[in-house]
Amino acid sequence: MRAIEVAGLGFGYGGVRLFDGFSLDVEAGEFLAVVGPNGAGKSTLLRLIAGLLEPQTGRVSVLGQDIGRLGRRRTAQLVGVVLEEDSLAFNYPVHEVVMMGRTPYLGAFERPGRSDHEAVMRALEVCDMVHLRDKGIAEISAGERQRAVLARALAQEPQLLLLDEAFSHLDITHQHSTLEILREMNRSGRTVVLLSHDLNLAAAAGTRILLLNKGRAAALGEPAEVLTPRNLRQAYGIEPVVLVHPQTGRPQVLLPSS
Amino acid sequence: MVVAALTIGVGPAGLTRGGLAQVLEFRLPRLVLGIMAGGVLATAGAGLQGLLRNPLADPFTLGVASGAALGVSLVLVSGHGSSLLLPVGGFAGALAATFLVYLLARVRGRVTMTGLVLAGVIANFFFASLMMLIMILGRRTLGEAVYLTMGHLGVVVTHRSVWLLAGAGAAALAGCGWLLTQSRALDVMSLSEETARSLGVNTGRLTRQVFVVLSLAVGVVVSFTGAISFVGLVVPHLVRMLFGPMHRRVLPGSFLLGAGVLLVSDLVARNVVPGGLPLSVVTALVGVPFFVYLLRKRL
Repeated sequence: MRAIEVAGLGFGYGGVRLFDGFSLDVEAGEFLAVVGPNGAGKSTLLRLIAGLLEPQTGRVSVLGQDIGRLGRRRTAQLVGVVLEEDSLAFNYPVHEVVMMGRTPYLGAFERPGRSDHEAVMRALEVCDMVHLRDKGIAEISAGERQRAVLARALAQEPQLLLLDEAFSHLDITHQHSTLEILREMNRSGRTVVLLSHDLNLAAAAGTRILLLNKGRAAALGEPAEVLTPRNLRQAYGIEPVVLVHPQTGRPQVLLPSS
Repeated sequence: MVVAALTIGVGPAGLTRGGLAQVLEFRLPRLVLGIMAGGVLATAGAGLQGLLRNPLADPFTLGVASGAALGVSLVLVSGHGSSLLLPVGGFAGALAATFLVYLLARVRGRVTMTGLVLAGVIANFFFASLMMLIMILGRRTLGEAVYLTMGHLGVVVTHRSVWLLAGAGAAALAGCGWLLTQSRALDVMSLSEETARSLGVNTGRLTRQVFVVLSLAVGVVVSFTGAISFVGLVVPHLVRMLFGPMHRRVLPGSFLLGAGVLLVSDLVARNVVPGGLPLSVVTALVGVPFFVYLLRKRL
């Protein structure tokens, strides 16, 4: 079964067409990294897949079901989304923020049960947030906040996890551990789609990489096929140096000398 | 409880003159009205702040209360005073004001904190002026208009209108009860609209429902008491400081504390100056400095 099926997608803002006949298939159990220059349409694509935006033409299916017909609640049980920023207007304790990941499973009057508390505890442990569980979400650092939001998505127990710049505030220790968390999820059969500005992170993370440019798939395939000097020059307008990571054998991208 | 007893006991008339029965006849409705108004306004403030992620939102700053007052004034001058139509007018005015302010503040699908407050302020001036115009054209007294703009609990409750008050109270209370069932949705909504949707909340429907229900509760209250400022703004923040930000605690906490705060304000309003003061004079003197403090903390 395909985790994501995008066919003939058309979408734009205010009359300007960003996607026109865009298609993408992601198999269940894949780990896809999406890269591309600013304005390429990465975040828009993620929101279309998550059902947060409606396609103007074409179709988006998730786990074999049309996202438009799935309903908000059912979608939320299948698809977890980690977005860039939440409002900090109210200082919720970290463990309550993570418990909010259980929202799609709880009725209006239902109190969280044992399985909910267990899911929250697991997520806190995996994300190294147990010691911060009672801290306010507005009081912790931006990196800790990103881990809290990831923990919320894990507590949601989705089949498909979509992440938008979820690593931007993480130090390398937590980049490494978070990548491990995502790989572990992926190994247990979940599909992961990761958006990042960081080409090296994308190269390290994904089994496949999608290079998006102006709403079109400029390249799609294994990291070594996609992150070539030629592809990168066409998408970004500069020609970076591409090396091979001595341990993983994956491409690593360096800025050229000025 | 203490505040309730004081409301009954303290006043220019005192307990000695006229006997307990008469005092009860005037002050018991006042007590009920105070609890209802303070509770509803503070609960509505808490709900709007969470829904709109805006710590400065409340029925007064968003122009909802003055919209309701405008609706009430229209009913008053049309000659249907003290009838069932007053709460209906309040509801209609509140509902129209809520959606108008929301649409005014919504630019390219986004509602910013400052945009919303500005739209509310503008709407407030506009509705208050319109209301004054209507009251004067309709040959009502300035005193009536002032009480409608600035709030009071001195409604004379007759045997006929006591049922109206009971019905209105029940409707307002039911509205607050419904809001409590949406606590979890409000929690996630207060993080971000997109996050709420990604967690399965139908945010468009929730927004519309909250607007309608709170317009009903606030509109009904305003039709009895006029527009009372800042109770809905200040009280939820105090409750969050005391009990944390989860809506399942903030909403009932705001109802109780709002009721208490309003009764105390009423005690002050009718005892410091002979003849009494409009309620908003008291609530604004405390509320405005708090508003400024919140605004400066956010900017």
